[in-house]
Amino acid sequence: MADNLPSEFDVIVIGTGLPESIIAAACSRSGQRVLHVDSRNYYGGNWASFSFSGLLSWIKEYQENGDTTNESSRWQEQVLENEEAIGLSKKDKTIQHVEVFCYASQDLHEDVEEAGALQKNHASVTSANSTEAADSACLPTEDESLSIVSCEMSAEQTPSSDPESAPEVNDAEATGEKGDHCDDKTSEEETSTNVPTAADTIEQPKKNRITYSQIIKEGRRFNIDLVSKLLYSRGLLIDLLIKSNVSRYAEFKNITRILAFREGRVEQVPCSRADVFNSKQLSMVEKRMLMKFLTFCMEYEEHPDEYKGYEEIAFSEYLKTQKLTPNLQYFVLHSIAMTSETTTTTLDGLKATKNFLHCLGRYGNTPFLFPLYGQGELPQCFCRMCAVFGGIYCLRHSVQCLVVDKESRKCKAIIDQFGQRIMSTHFLVEDSYLSENMCSHVQYRQISRAVLITDRSVLKTDSDQQISILTVPAEEPGTSAVRVIELCSSTMTCMKGTYLVHLTCTSSKTARDDLEPVVQKLFTPFTEMEIEKEEVEKPRILWALYFNMRDSSDIDRNCYKDLPSNVYVCSGPDCALGNDNAVKQAETLFQQIYPNEDFCPPPPNPEDIILDGDSSQPGASESIAIPEANSETPEESANLENPQAPSE
Amino acid sequence: MSMEDYDFLFKIVLIGNAGVGKTCLVRRFTQGLFPPGQGATIGVDFMIKTVEINGEKVKLQIWDTAGQERFRSITQSYYRSANALILTYDITCEESFRCLPEWLREIEQYASNKVITVLVGNKIDLAERREVSQQRAEEFSEAQDMYYLETSAKESDNVEKLFLDLACRLISEARQNTLVNNVSSPLPGEGKSISYLTCCNFN
Repeated sequence: MADNLPSEFDVIVIGTGLPESIIAAACSRSGQRVLHVDSRNYYGGNWASFSFSGLLSWIKEYQENGDTTNESSRWQEQVLENEEAIGLSKKDKTIQHVEVFCYASQDLHEDVEEAGALQKNHASVTSANSTEAADSACLPTEDESLSIVSCEMSAEQTPSSDPESAPEVNDAEATGEKGDHCDDKTSEEETSTNVPTAADTIEQPKKNRITYSQIIKEGRRFNIDLVSKLLYSRGLLIDLLIKSNVSRYAEFKNITRILAFREGRVEQVPCSRADVFNSKQLSMVEKRMLMKFLTFCMEYEEHPDEYKGYEEIAFSEYLKTQKLTPNLQYFVLHSIAMTSETTTTTLDGLKATKNFLHCLGRYGNTPFLFPLYGQGELPQCFCRMCAVFGGIYCLRHSVQCLVVDKESRKCKAIIDQFGQRIMSTHFLVEDSYLSENMCSHVQYRQISRAVLITDRSVLKTDSDQQISILTVPAEEPGTSAVRVIELCSSTMTCMKGTYLVHLTCTSSKTARDDLEPVVQKLFTPFTEMEIEKEEVEKPRILWALYFNMRDSSDIDRNCYKDLPSNVYVCSGPDCALGNDNAVKQAETLFQQIYPNEDFCPPPPNPEDIILDGDSSQPGASESIAIPEANSETPEESANLENPQAPSE
Repeated sequence: MSMEDYDFLFKIVLIGNAGVGKTCLVRRFTQGLFPPGQGATIGVDFMIKTVEINGEKVKLQIWDTAGQERFRSITQSYYRSANALILTYDITCEESFRCLPEWLREIEQYASNKVITVLVGNKIDLAERREVSQQRAEEFSEAQDMYYLETSAKESDNVEKLFLDLACRLISEARQNTLVNNVSSPLPGEGKSISYLTCCNFN
């Protein structure tokens, strides 16, 4: 790193997850000098999204549990007599039980080494140890795939005479006729070791069959989220994105369907007024029942007598007392209120239902939005905002320790990986950076996650571009409901012809133990045999990943040992569907630090600085910034508030 | 922001090493200023200039790196939905030229594969300190299938030409229905910006 960092800031933020990034943006926006660092070579921490090769590198990192910490004691000398150092964690311990399964077939003629490592025609179960062979065969080294630090290639040769770098880019462009055929880094390496044109001449034995090497090759089409969340269209995050104008850095799509899994079948849940009326699966009577109940939920607070005496009993029990068929009870409980847990009370259930209905119709037919290119874009959008207001960004930059003044017990500075001492007034640290010693009293929950690449949707319709959310209720007591989000390729998170499926639940065991039963209900592993028949109804899994992620939300700061008062801790992602927790956390911490400052006010409009005369009037922007991003039928669905009798 | 304001709106993104003159190029073009003045970039996300080409109003939204290139920490979202990229190096700084392949890798990874990339060698007013010959740059840009131009933000050499040529190319690309957000292309234009700013929605 040629450039040196300034030696003094107002705020140092360590970790680039969503809460940290929002705070960094807020601080920078209010004029504070912000340094924002992350020890990783990507943004977002556990909120990140990865290309396929990026994800393979990430997996490798967590499967190799070797302690490769080259302890440098240079910082010791920097700590003065009246100070003490609080070391930060070198190794991330938030991810556990990583297991990978590859079902897609390997192209033998293309990558001999790879095919040898993962057997053809068999679902190759590759857990911790056995994947390494496969990984090392098909993965570029980390710094080649992700980091952009290395510059050896061009240091030795001038770029113009470089025989390899030049054609690489050309190939990608030339073969991109359909706009979706761009080589991933990984395949570049393959092709450079094999015949250079191999990538272009692969035959596709059958259409519709996606092989592992295609996934590798199209790897950059994937943006695979570590956390699977959606934005409630009236949630805190949407409000913040709009208020702060950070929304201009991202694009969103509506979730198109709410699904339910009942009696072994996946079906679409009608939730907007239009849906209810158009539903073919509901009878006329059911339509009226549902409309009536949903209308009541919209304003349940005004009719307390309707649920009096039921407030504290289970919502599912309350639903039984309402004029609803079992079918409708199921929809309301699991797909609309999304309160599958048996412990959910009537009051919480009504609140959740109201929230769902309230969000419905702001941007479309469901209450949810998904950011194009994945959830991992969102922290980066806030980082951009921070940078625009002068925040300094350093990825691949780790912090060795916090320097604490013995007398005041306040943190004064950090010492970074180069031994540079950087002063600051406030310090925000993502909790995975805290040392084990500091967290010894902390009890964490876990999130179970699975990521599947599949070949078709769980519910086929005319359009193959659906974004769906499905809740599968828990079967046994003590386990929790599983949230399934299926993304299509137009979300820019997976390659054409595939779907990216995210499963999430609160852990009771390992991710695989928790989620595999649901995976088996909804999907079937890809095998060559079944292809011949073409009769399989369930989507086939081409590739699967399971892992557990630590859930550090809701941890009280008093649980951390010896935390200086000007060091604030941000948690990693929580298990909830929305992002409210991250926003609340960020706002609360920001207000603790700067009680009199506005939280992420709108920035000046770039249009205001236009100098040429003939442009549109500045100043009109703020009112336009109120989002009307869509929508086709906002009135119709919003009309749930003012329902009329079904008039069919 | 009514549609009558312009016929086309394009997002142009500048990248390249720190200190090669990206901000100066933008400021020179949009405001006619050089040097842009310190601190002036704080809070400025992008600059806008509306130009007229063959009777059509083209609004150019020009994005700068906000300093994130300094420690190689540009956010991916910066590249998303750009219609054109201006990859800049300093002709008096060999190092800024050597880093071009790294930048191309980032482009390939994160930008749309239909993005137009222009290679710009800036600071030709300092010709006596030139470290990168025009020929090398030409060969490189040819191999990478990029347009190439040398500029001086200070003397205002080729700055107008850079942006106006780019605007012309973007228009003709748009006409050929090959731009990312074209109606006829299935991806990714369906995505919606929540705010007023639906980038690159031209009509």
